[in-house]
Amino acid sequence: MAEYHLTAPLQDEDVLQLHIGDTVYLSGPAFTCRSKLQRYIFDEGHELPFIPEEGSILIHNGPIVVKREDGWELMSFMPTSSIRFEKWGADSVEKWNLKLICGKTTMGDNTSKAMKKFHCVHVSPRSVSPLLWLKSISIEGVDLFEEMGSIEAPWHFVLNELGPFVVDMDCYGNNLFDKIDEIVADNKQKVYRDLDIPSDFRYTKLYDNKNTCEP
Amino acid sequence: MITSKRIEEAAFQAIKSGSTDISSDVREAFIKAISRESDSGARDGLEKTLESIKLAEEYERPSCADTGWPIFYIKAGNEAQIEGGFMALEEAIRDGVRRATKEGYIRKTMKHPLTGFDPGDNIGANIPDFTYQFVPGDSIEITYCAKGGGSECFGGTRQKVVAFADGTKGIEKFVIDAFADAARAGAICPPSIVGVGIGGTANVAANLAKEAACLRLVGSHHPEENIRTIEERLYKGINGLGFGILGAGGSTSALAVNVEYAYTHIAGIVVAISCNCMVARRATYRISADDSIIKLACANWFGDR
Repeated sequence: MAEYHLTAPLQDEDVLQLHIGDTVYLSGPAFTCRSKLQRYIFDEGHELPFIPEEGSILIHNGPIVVKREDGWELMSFMPTSSIRFEKWGADSVEKWNLKLICGKTTMGDNTSKAMKKFHCVHVSPRSVSPLLWLKSISIEGVDLFEEMGSIEAPWHFVLNELGPFVVDMDCYGNNLFDKIDEIVADNKQKVYRDLDIPSDFRYTKLYDNKNTCEP
Repeated sequence: MITSKRIEEAAFQAIKSGSTDISSDVREAFIKAISRESDSGARDGLEKTLESIKLAEEYERPSCADTGWPIFYIKAGNEAQIEGGFMALEEAIRDGVRRATKEGYIRKTMKHPLTGFDPGDNIGANIPDFTYQFVPGDSIEITYCAKGGGSECFGGTRQKVVAFADGTKGIEKFVIDAFADAARAGAICPPSIVGVGIGGTANVAANLAKEAACLRLVGSHHPEENIRTIEERLYKGINGLGFGILGAGGSTSALAVNVEYAYTHIAGIVVAISCNCMVARRATYRISADDSIIKLACANWFGDR
């Protein structure tokens, strides 16, 4: 597991060297989004008021920002769960010229395919440490503030060694959490044994699902 | 007489303290987890989180940017005299939420579920949420909890009706399986404080689970031996799954498993699970009959646990 210090705009070679489990620190410009922005752009057809440059960093995040007399003050910052933006993941990678997405959890197959095609990675935090991160983030500005509100508007940050984050999706189609799933599946069988839950345990069905859409 | 002004102040202080200053039982749990964690990356994550928690207190900043659903638990003395009554108490607490939102101790997170309308102050239909317990005495105790979006939205909160035929094994399997789904990729921000509610109607079980997750002292146990045994077995089981902090691998997946129960119908047993984030945010303030306020170490929602 190697450690990398990357500066945006990122080049192909910056992300092609990364593999799941590697640690990264991020510097340079980045912008934020949540689902309201993606719905606004990709579903409702509005134009993003800025053009993300080739090799951009996107952070899935809804910061706490307070307006002071001398500008914006970032009160707290924590990457938010990326999996719920899967619907727009592939479009974001392609149309927003992304080379790196930072967010909690991970993303799904469609985004993974786009990441492979356009050379992009996803990185995830291994701590909840906003107070260690605040010093690595300065706010450059914000767009669509009126339309989106302070959490969902795209904030423009400049990062200075923001991290550490772990690469959970590389541009070769690998996902760190798929590997963890395999470990958890094995462990779960052991936990069942410890709790005397038979491997063939079946719940008594209290209702069947014939008339519902439940799996 | 307990005045609206003091209630607003107590609510504001509970939010500020809950958001920025993690309670000592949760900090102790972090220190223990760090000493036990076998994975070096996970241990580093726990250490960084604890360091950030300490700085959050020092700089009075929210210890996580997601300040969740604002929920309040109120222990109301049966003899308490409240200026304007309980409707005024709720309005004063809402005022505390408004002030805390404006000052950045809670994020503007609450929205209309269909239109997405953002009131900008976290106040809307049925939010904040109030739960009451009536006790002897003339004081009011207000506990603020931030129930995080991650811990609530990604499978860490759910329930199942288990037949008596499936008994304790069915209950324990449900909790292990639900946790294993929900903790994938760190969605519910493990290591979690896992609350389990057994019995009652669906809402009773769900409320018990949420209160066990959000209000119980970390490290406490249910006084009844058979419930305590379930807590210990599930704690060991969940920590044997290998998720670690934020799901990237490690030996600490839960800081606690807290189980509460209610009597149930002979037809079946509702089992509910509710997980709280590792950065478990809560704070309790008491307003006495002389209108003075004091911070308490814990909610004491379930007796002394």
